[in-house]
Amino acid sequence: MLLFLGMAFSLGILIPGKFSLKLQYDGDQVLHIVPETLQQVQHLQHLCSTLLLDLWKPLLPEDIRAGEDLHIRVPAPLVQEVKDSLDQHTISYNIPYKQSGSHSELITSSLWTQTFIYQCERILIHDVQELVDQSTPETSSQKQIPESYSYTQYHPMEEIYTWMAQIQKNNSELVTQHYLGETVENRTIYYLQISQPSDKTKKIIWMDCGIHAREWISPAFCQWFVKEILQNYESDPKIRKFLQNIDLYILPVLNIDGYIYSWETARLWRKNRSPHMNGTCYGTDLNRNFNSSWGTLGVSYNCSSEIFCGTGPESEPETRAVVQLIERKKSDILCYLTIHSYGQYILTPYGSTTEPPSNNEELMRVAQTAAAALTEKYGTSYEVGPTSLILYSNSGSSRDWARMIGIPFSYTFELRDKGTYGFVLPADQIQPTCEETMLAVTAIIDYVDQKYFPGGATMLTSGSLGLSLCLTAVLTLIVT
Amino acid sequence: MPGLRAALPAALLLLSSFPPAAAERLPWPQVPGVMHPLNPSHREAVWAAWTALHYINSHEASPSRPLALHKVVKAAAKMIPRLGWKYYVHCTTEGYIHGENAGSCFATVLYLKKSPPVVHGKCVHAQNKKQIQEEDHRFYEYLQHQKKPITANYIPDSNGNIAHDHLQLWGLAIVGSSYIMWKQSTEHTGYLLAQVSSVKQQIRKDNAVAFKFIVLLHEIPTQQMNVCHMYLVWTLGHPIRVKYSCAPDNHGLEDGSGQDSGSAAGTSHETKGNF
Repeated sequence: MLLFLGMAFSLGILIPGKFSLKLQYDGDQVLHIVPETLQQVQHLQHLCSTLLLDLWKPLLPEDIRAGEDLHIRVPAPLVQEVKDSLDQHTISYNIPYKQSGSHSELITSSLWTQTFIYQCERILIHDVQELVDQSTPETSSQKQIPESYSYTQYHPMEEIYTWMAQIQKNNSELVTQHYLGETVENRTIYYLQISQPSDKTKKIIWMDCGIHAREWISPAFCQWFVKEILQNYESDPKIRKFLQNIDLYILPVLNIDGYIYSWETARLWRKNRSPHMNGTCYGTDLNRNFNSSWGTLGVSYNCSSEIFCGTGPESEPETRAVVQLIERKKSDILCYLTIHSYGQYILTPYGSTTEPPSNNEELMRVAQTAAAALTEKYGTSYEVGPTSLILYSNSGSSRDWARMIGIPFSYTFELRDKGTYGFVLPADQIQPTCEETMLAVTAIIDYVDQKYFPGGATMLTSGSLGLSLCLTAVLTLIVT
Repeated sequence: MPGLRAALPAALLLLSSFPPAAAERLPWPQVPGVMHPLNPSHREAVWAAWTALHYINSHEASPSRPLALHKVVKAAAKMIPRLGWKYYVHCTTEGYIHGENAGSCFATVLYLKKSPPVVHGKCVHAQNKKQIQEEDHRFYEYLQHQKKPITANYIPDSNGNIAHDHLQLWGLAIVGSSYIMWKQSTEHTGYLLAQVSSVKQQIRKDNAVAFKFIVLLHEIPTQQMNVCHMYLVWTLGHPIRVKYSCAPDNHGLEDGSGQDSGSAAGTSHETKGNF
């Protein structure tokens, strides 16, 4: 009893402004759902009728339609049951009125208490009382993403560095920026780790962009991807589900020196900027520099070539930076994705041989599912297959290397287009390209998640446990 | 073993600049006269289709509406003894500039050892031929009436933008570049126009329209950018005439003393006819 009072008291202090100690919050929630299929509609109608939920929009269960907004007020004791039922039927919902992430900064006690109170705050502040008081809903996304950053423009490296720092700052509970290594010209290479707080050790999915300088759509996609995950984290149960067991490591630009060179000097530069032959020739093709049959096929030993493989496998600091991290964590990495342009392909191993990897059948199947998901969006068609058959032979690619060291799912994406604009893809195609590619990448992530973490259990997280306890606490308080 | 690693590339450099051409063997049995079906999404079929389209764009298509490859529908290859491989391609096309459905083409492409590929193509156009002719006519007259030579740089620009006024200029560059790309294409090397670096109109005494272009051609699979200086003459109702000279883009060497380390020398070519 004292414990519960203590919790309630701390809640009262922590929540500034509009929230009083009176504990008059109901704990009710309003859920916003857009059912997608007839089955979902029927399930929702069933839920509303049997649990006597309060339909705000539409007014009657028989008026629930696929593709149309549905707002239901769920009484506090039924919140968990309803959410579980929605999750089971893969019906996504969001809670339109949320507090900003900054409240969690006020919590300084232990991790368990943190999770407990954070969950309490999220729910209690969502309540109906709040709704009545406020006139305009505030979208949490405004606080999470730097307000003026445009994801539909290409950005120079300075802006990407700033963006990374801001993303971490505004999403500190989910994102951390990590040092990977340094480039030839001593610039720092960072990656972002998206990780749901938990005491579990997670598996990892890695995605890198910007190995080739001129492929500007690639870093644009990595930034878009991070933004989408963070923006939809609260509202998309699929994202929360895979983040339970999987961390995402995203490297927005690997070949930083080359990328800057393509902005300042030569738009169509490809390689890094390592000097050779007394500074008369520059650049190694990083995607020929990995230790996967290095130097055997589809390369040149001549520095002036765009496919110069370097002076040896992993001769470049950028290559070594990636290698040392992935080697260290390889037993936890389930999937390696590397983003390039152009051509519209999802490429499977290998480029250095036509001999397929042991899991070729599965790799192809998953890639085809991903390509199909992508095509659904705007009709963009992607080809799927091994590099050595579809494109041309090449050795020393990062994707081959990742598969060879045992990472089971390893793919190269070649984004839009098929050659009419090529590397200079118009900025007005950034959004559609990223939207469709997002569907493909999340299809792969979902598959990997289902494969290694089957069961779809969202039940027994410390979060939902805390939530139940919290609601019990509040009810106890109100009743006594 | 760092010592061995360092020695190996040096030894290989002595032998050649490129590793053994294992990748360049065709992946099907080389029996003369037999038609081998090709996977339409594999590179041999796709590159044969592009070679055909480069030829068609430069010889038959209009500067207002050049064609791009949409998809290969069907493809096959047959070895012609003493000559080389002949590819049979059926592909769908789209408008290069606006991406609209443009119909389909049937083409044969015979790759020869020392001459440009021999292409025969026939296209079924989804677009209104009369309308395209009118567009060409209007563009031609517009160019003829310029008192001051038209100039422009970077089409598309770094962000992929093309000013509306420059769209047809881009079309003209595509048509001219297609001539170069057709001539240079081989079974193992293909080309696509990466960017128009600069364009300068040349005012002529006769009625023809002429331009000096510098275009960047993306070479696959070497990934090389070739800088081509192209002089193009267009007389309405006649095929375009092109004179060109290409060299690999050695911007990498600009930083140093300008030493050329073994890249192919520039090549100069021109179409038949007076310039």
